[in-house]
Amino acid sequence: MNERPYALLAELTYRCPLHCPYCSNPVRYPEGRELSTEDWRRVFSEAAALGVLHLGLSGGEPLARQDLAELVGAARRAGLYTNLITSGLGLTAPRARDLRQAGLDSVQISFQADDPALANAIAGTKAHDLKLEAVRALREAGLPLSLNVVLHRANIERLEQIIALAEKLGADRLELANVQYYGWGKLNQAQLLPTRHQVETALATALAAKERLAGRMELIYVLPDYYEERPKPCMQGWGRRYLTVNPVGQVLPCPNAAGIPGLVFDSVRERSLAAIWQESESFNRFRGTEWMSLPCRECPQKEIDFGGCRCQAALLTGNPGATDPVCMLSPDRKIIDQLLDQVGNESAMTWKPRNNPLDTF
Amino acid sequence: MNVPDPQSRPALAPRVRLRADPVTGEPVLLYPEGILILNPTAHEIVTRCDGEITVDGLIRLLYDEYEESEETLRHDVLETLADLKQRNLIVLAP
Repeated sequence: MNERPYALLAELTYRCPLHCPYCSNPVRYPEGRELSTEDWRRVFSEAAALGVLHLGLSGGEPLARQDLAELVGAARRAGLYTNLITSGLGLTAPRARDLRQAGLDSVQISFQADDPALANAIAGTKAHDLKLEAVRALREAGLPLSLNVVLHRANIERLEQIIALAEKLGADRLELANVQYYGWGKLNQAQLLPTRHQVETALATALAAKERLAGRMELIYVLPDYYEERPKPCMQGWGRRYLTVNPVGQVLPCPNAAGIPGLVFDSVRERSLAAIWQESESFNRFRGTEWMSLPCRECPQKEIDFGGCRCQAALLTGNPGATDPVCMLSPDRKIIDQLLDQVGNESAMTWKPRNNPLDTF
Repeated sequence: MNVPDPQSRPALAPRVRLRADPVTGEPVLLYPEGILILNPTAHEIVTRCDGEITVDGLIRLLYDEYEESEETLRHDVLETLADLKQRNLIVLAP
């Protein structure tokens, strides 16, 4: 018997009014129709029965789904803790009230920067002021505010001001996550990857703010793993804690797993979530430690970092079963070092903005 | 760690939810991207944090219910609340 999953990420749609160059959605969207309200209802109750406690409602922009409050209600009735992960665009006062009434537990709004012009340039649209309005709507509805800012070369030097914005807006949680280099992020890596100096300065700023704000605002700082010597314990182990269901119903062990060539994903339209979690080839492929090769196989860290990230191994070495090249023990570490050596050669903000999947809605 | 004011009124933070884990039966606090399993002492304390009762009131209430010395209870309550506050899981209203 496998361990039970704790969290489900529901990507409700790929539609989004923003065009952030580091979007975690796949660069090539899978074909198919979006799941219906009824499909999601069933997915939520199957997830709860499997032991899932947490539900992330994400996208794309989840507010693009007109049935969002209905979905929140269904998730709450199933007992799930519901967290809305949104750009804020479309979060009007009446909608915020409806979501609160449906039982939404938490809202996380993304900001691209503190400065409106920079933020709009990153989002590829005039989003910043609309986000400030969304924050007001949230406040009026009595929903707690959590902020998320993705950091990269074009905004990381404004970290002090970004933290000040979160304080001014009265957020009780601020997540500062460096770009993860998959999908759109990988495509635009040359423009997004920060320099070592930027990363070190930002870390010092974040740690000082974390201490200063303790007990008032929770501050989470996610390091850019390229600058680490050991890999992140990605997903706390493949098929061990997390499930992602994408807009067309495919169930993935991690939101980026579609980037691993040859992996086939089962759909909630064809099988139950329990059967997929327990039996599907994609979930069992990198479970446990049997699949590991050297140096992971004999490493004392193997049950701590699980060999790092499978998507990163696939993307950079071509072999999803390889040690994550971030690891200093990986024979492929030079791939990361070469990428870091090139940082700064490309001028920033000449990236390819994320486009919209015209054929899925 | 900051010791909570004995006259403050603890309550769960707005985004935090207490429930029983349906798989293990254990009481858990759920919050964004986090799960905290409560030990029996913390559970007894958290269920009484309603935003009305003061920290001192909470200690007296538990003293009436349990055969523990007031000193032990005070220590347990203050330590648990300080830890939960540090994790931003409770608020202490004046």
